[in-house]
Amino acid sequence: MSKADVMNKLATIMQELFENSSLVVTEETSGDDVDEWDSLTHISLIDSIEKQFKVKFGLGELMKLKNVGQMADLIIKKTA
Amino acid sequence: MLFNSHFFIFVFLPIVCLGYHLLNKAKFHEFAKIWLIGGSLYFYSYFNISYLPLIVLSVLTNYMLVKGMMRGQKFWFIPGLVFNIGLLCYFKYMNFFLENFSVVTGVDFNLTKIIFPLGISFYTLQQIAYLVDVYQDVVEEEKKLVDYAVYVTFFPCLISGPIAHYDLVLPQFQELKNKVFNSKNFSLGIYLFCLGLFKKVIIADSLSPFVNESYENPANLHLITAWATSLGYTLQLYFDFSGYTDMAIGIAKMFNISIPQNFNSPLRAANINDFWSRWHMTLTSFIKGYIYTPIIRSMPKPTFKNSMIAMFIAMTIAGIWHGPAWTFVLYGMVHGLAIVIHHNWKKKKKKLPYLVGWFITFNFVNLGLVLFRAPNLKAAGEVIAGMVGLQGVQLPKMGIGFFESASGLGCEVWSLYDK
Repeated sequence: MSKADVMNKLATIMQELFENSSLVVTEETSGDDVDEWDSLTHISLIDSIEKQFKVKFGLGELMKLKNVGQMADLIIKKTA
Repeated sequence: MLFNSHFFIFVFLPIVCLGYHLLNKAKFHEFAKIWLIGGSLYFYSYFNISYLPLIVLSVLTNYMLVKGMMRGQKFWFIPGLVFNIGLLCYFKYMNFFLENFSVVTGVDFNLTKIIFPLGISFYTLQQIAYLVDVYQDVVEEEKKLVDYAVYVTFFPCLISGPIAHYDLVLPQFQELKNKVFNSKNFSLGIYLFCLGLFKKVIIADSLSPFVNESYENPANLHLITAWATSLGYTLQLYFDFSGYTDMAIGIAKMFNISIPQNFNSPLRAANINDFWSRWHMTLTSFIKGYIYTPIIRSMPKPTFKNSMIAMFIAMTIAGIWHGPAWTFVLYGMVHGLAIVIHHNWKKKKKKLPYLVGWFITFNFVNLGLVLFRAPNLKAAGEVIAGMVGLQGVQLPKMGIGFFESASGLGCEVWSLYDK
């Protein structure tokens, strides 16, 4: 999967989860930028990502994720 | 051996630092690490020689289990967890557990005091994080024993943290550029160390005699002295802990190692969530990453209610991690409750002005620290009673003098206890 594909899919997931169809998602987007994205919705987000990309994240990996770009990189690594 | 002792500053640190850099300069990089490990173990044993076998056992056992797991023997994970948590529970909580068991059942154990090794709370958490990550295939490369040991035993973090995640620190010991003496790092290290030293010795240690005395006789505290005590302790703890952390970061910098920040002006926090993202930051990270997350992910659905339950449990665990006492359990629970309340308030989307939020948060934190510091629940209750005026009010002598001269009348003071 290309990074662009992954970013698009992530944007769709986030728009659905945060109920904001006009949400703009870039590689730098993080919890600081999106009001609805807090420690609770983060878990739902991770669950959705794991289901849709068919990957499993380790606790140590989740800890390090700071923005959407890093999530995309991790997904690409795991689906390679 | 405290950081603020003559022996540490003038003997231990220069020798270990010099040896490390000289060995690296002579390209004996592995010996440099062994030298540092030796220094760290010496540092640790200086408190009590009986601590030494424990840390050696902990490091070697974890290393072997992890090695087995990386070669496919994943079944070592549970024994590994049991070993680490078991060790921590035995040395830290056994006395507490037995005392309470005794109270409940009336069975009297001949309680030989189990020694509580310093730092075990820190190096145990660091190793548990590594164990979990290896189990979940997050760690790609096997580490050499020397690298693993130099990371876990690294003396700046050993006694009071920060809880440095292996991912952030271990690789730094392997990088070649860090083996070259760097005068910028070294001078920054000295600066940070001095900053921390000032915070601890001049500010925190000046507050502690008054605070300690107050907590020994909390029933004697009246409105003003109770508030002075609680505020005094809040400031003392902040300057002591953040000062010690500054010293740790500074010392690490002298070895070209960057360890994570642990404090970010926490007393300015606008809400309790903000507070925990600024106070003991590495503990918050660990709790969020390795306790809260697995709890909520193990629940059927990540609903708001489940998230609140998970946060409450995680904070209670964080509370008791601090020490074997009911005051710490209550401290954790109270903070857990505060976080739950905060999240519920957030749902209303009504933002409070910063000063209001700060005022509420600061006072809550201040009150919580009474629980944290008090030797027992009764003492905590007495301090709080003093703070709400239940133990009387006495004007400070200076104040009485002012009133007397200003009004020309005498000044009667009401107090429940004669001091």
